[in-house]
Amino acid sequence: MTERGKNGAGGKIILALTLLFFYFPIFYIIVFSFNDSRSLTKFGGFSLRWYEKMFADSTMMEAVLYTVLIAVLATVISTVAGTITAIGLSKSSRVLSAIVERVNDLPVMNPDIVTAISLLMFFSVLAARKGFGTMLLAHIMFCIPYVMLSVTPKLRSLDPNLIEAAMDLGATPFQALTRVIVPQIRPGIISGALIAFTMSFDDFVISYFTTGNGVNNISILVYTMSKRVNPSINALSTIVILLIPIALGVVNIVPIVRERSAAKGTAKPLNRKATAVVAAILAAAIAGMAAAGSGAQRRRQQEAVEKYGSSVLKLYLPGEYLGEDVISNFETQYGVSVIVENFDSNEMMYTKLQAGDSYDVLIPSDYMIERLINGDYLQPLDKSLIPNLDNLADAVVGLDYDPDGTYSVPYFWGSVGLVYNHENVDPAVMEAEGWDILHDVDYAGRIYIYDSERDSFMMAFKALGYSMNTDDPAEIEAAYEWLRQMNNTMFPIYVTDEVIDSMINGYQDIAVVYSGDATVILDENEDMSFFMPDEGTNIWSDAMIIPKNAENPLLAHEFINYMLTYEAAFDNSETVGYASPNAEVLEEMSTQEDLYAENEAYLPRSDGEMDEMFHDNVTLQRELSKYWIRVKAEN
Amino acid sequence: MKQFRSMTYPYVLWIAAMIVLPMLLIVLYAFTESGNDVLTFRFTLENFARFVTDSVFLAVLWRSLYIALITTVICVLLGYPIAYVIAQLGERANTIMILLITMPTWVNMLVRTYAWMGILQDEGVLNTFLGFFGVGPVPMIHTSFAVILGMVYNFIPFMILQIHTSLDKMDKNLLNAAADLGADKAHAFLRVTLPLSLPGVISGITLVFLPAVSSFFIPKLLGGGQYVLVGNVIESQFLTSGDWNFGSAISMIMAVIIMISMYFTRKADVSVASGGKE
Repeated sequence: MTERGKNGAGGKIILALTLLFFYFPIFYIIVFSFNDSRSLTKFGGFSLRWYEKMFADSTMMEAVLYTVLIAVLATVISTVAGTITAIGLSKSSRVLSAIVERVNDLPVMNPDIVTAISLLMFFSVLAARKGFGTMLLAHIMFCIPYVMLSVTPKLRSLDPNLIEAAMDLGATPFQALTRVIVPQIRPGIISGALIAFTMSFDDFVISYFTTGNGVNNISILVYTMSKRVNPSINALSTIVILLIPIALGVVNIVPIVRERSAAKGTAKPLNRKATAVVAAILAAAIAGMAAAGSGAQRRRQQEAVEKYGSSVLKLYLPGEYLGEDVISNFETQYGVSVIVENFDSNEMMYTKLQAGDSYDVLIPSDYMIERLINGDYLQPLDKSLIPNLDNLADAVVGLDYDPDGTYSVPYFWGSVGLVYNHENVDPAVMEAEGWDILHDVDYAGRIYIYDSERDSFMMAFKALGYSMNTDDPAEIEAAYEWLRQMNNTMFPIYVTDEVIDSMINGYQDIAVVYSGDATVILDENEDMSFFMPDEGTNIWSDAMIIPKNAENPLLAHEFINYMLTYEAAFDNSETVGYASPNAEVLEEMSTQEDLYAENEAYLPRSDGEMDEMFHDNVTLQRELSKYWIRVKAEN
Repeated sequence: MKQFRSMTYPYVLWIAAMIVLPMLLIVLYAFTESGNDVLTFRFTLENFARFVTDSVFLAVLWRSLYIALITTVICVLLGYPIAYVIAQLGERANTIMILLITMPTWVNMLVRTYAWMGILQDEGVLNTFLGFFGVGPVPMIHTSFAVILGMVYNFIPFMILQIHTSLDKMDKNLLNAAADLGADKAHAFLRVTLPLSLPGVISGITLVFLPAVSSFFIPKLLGGGQYVLVGNVIESQFLTSGDWNFGSAISMIMAVIIMISMYFTRKADVSVASGGKE
């Protein structure tokens, strides 16, 4: 140890710069968790509102517990298993160790989505009930290779004679293992454990496809719930970054202090005790949450079970798509509990459905509903159980994908249009040029394009005067040229949900946006306007459906009926910003000044002659997807 | 040491079940036509042909390997001195520094990347700061600089950890011996420390390069979607166009290319390591 502690000034500067680099973004996140405005990038005053929102949100707190529990379990199990295997492998034949190493590389190098899909299919084949167990197995699977990658180099630099010497001196193999090998490779084990913990803590894609039944981790919330701007994820991150050192302090610092005062040897048992205490607290907290509920609630629950057969409803819908109190009101009113899961795209939902996951109510978009009807995934609704169908606005009755409303009940509807900064873009020019403003080089380098082949080809088809459902090769080729010219002359930035925050901050002048997102942008930045080109646009609708494999169809009908009530529809539409299917709510929202009367993005037009809805065409979509990659990648 | 060999067997069974079997499903997709939900498998090589014959996809793959390579090189060049300096610290300072470097990775990657987006904007913190000196605004967001910065930020902790591990607890007697034999510091470093730490560097390269090739959130958010990488293409095959067959084929091609390059990297490592001993 004589070499230790002798860094010169150069070393200190390196350490200082390193910490600055690592903590600059973290500091940024912490500052913005106290931001009063909704923006993640512009500060609008100090506030604790995101912390309040986070602590009030039970799914968030639950997700924190699951994340920590899974990360701790996966780390402990994979560290032990990985270390043992690595040691065994170092004494095994070269062929075996080469094979294991190659196989271990697979989860490290495959894109998460590939690992995720492979496990999704695998668990479906096994008909495993998805949730905590399957997610934990998946995490252990991808964590072990990281542990082995960290331990193996340390083993290789280990002198083999050491072990032989120990055994010659009468050590059993087990003693040689625990007293000689493990202490020597300890740094490797520790860094392996740290990396495993990180990987487990930060994983989204694999967790998403291997979990189910309402078991979420923080990453799933970040990616699906906070789809639209939601600074409570900053608050959550701040808590994580502050809590972990405290937890580590208990496990790490205490032993060091004890060690000092009590000479030696006490560190390890205490370490274990501390870990056990942490695990016990977590387990108790989760058990406590599960068992929570007063006597009155339990009685209502009993009634619900008698009436519907079960008191649990599984709802699967896009992230950030519910009014603030809708779910809790439904739960108290009917004495049931709702498990909410979110998806990021219709295709994500379809993938899970294909794998056999079961939900009671789904809320996908028009073309996807068409696909689900054709694929025989849905059950016809019993309209006698949904008297509130009478509340539907005329504009959402008899839509193409399900003309008689046999399978679906509209939930939201909207359009796609252009949000623009009217200080920098003349509204007259915007109205004159329509979609072709995306070819107007006066605005080059100042536009955001929604990164999706579906929406991009829609604008191109409309700009050229075609139907957006065309499958005519010549028209597709022309639309591709239109997009290519846009890409090569306008230098657009391709975005998805981050466009909301960027336009609120006015970073660029023009953006292609869904009407509900536009409503939010216009609400937060008064320089912004919304325009639906006369050449036509996509009018879409998301609707509630009940899949065939729903476990609780009776309660599902009750839920659909509830969502059509004035209170629920009002709460949904006011919070989310999309047009309501409820006639009364729609009328009120679009005429009252304190609501959305002055927000031109709220109400989709229902008289646009060129407007269309998407039809499902899988082959066409695959084709467009390839063209779209070409548009973006070819330069 | 035959007693230890049997410790490998449970894991061999485990990877057979949890990695190999699920991966076989992906291989099956890669070699078949779409519409396999009905369990009628039609064998085809079309998915591979489509990739290899289309220059755009090859360009995308090439760009991904290139960006991952640059990221890896920067991570080694920056990570090695950082790990070295940390390894020189006292034991407790050492542990604390390693924890300090790992902790930011426990904040969700998307959240961290969002923070970088804010920092790098034309109106962002960094440009405001530069503005005090009359510089800028320097365009940073949506450039290759931003993409590489984001990648390095995300992956360098793993490189530092791996190199640090191999430097930590290194037998200091070797260095003393080198010094006794008349080697100066630079010589001792080049001849003793560096070769002994190479396995750690190789592990670090594996941990940075492999995931960097297929990363896609960072290029998407910081590159403004113009940096289409192979990870984006695979992701969109599975989640947008629903073409699992093509997506599986691309990921197989990528896996084979990476495996070949890793084979040579590790071979270099083995020859250096054994060269050092003999």
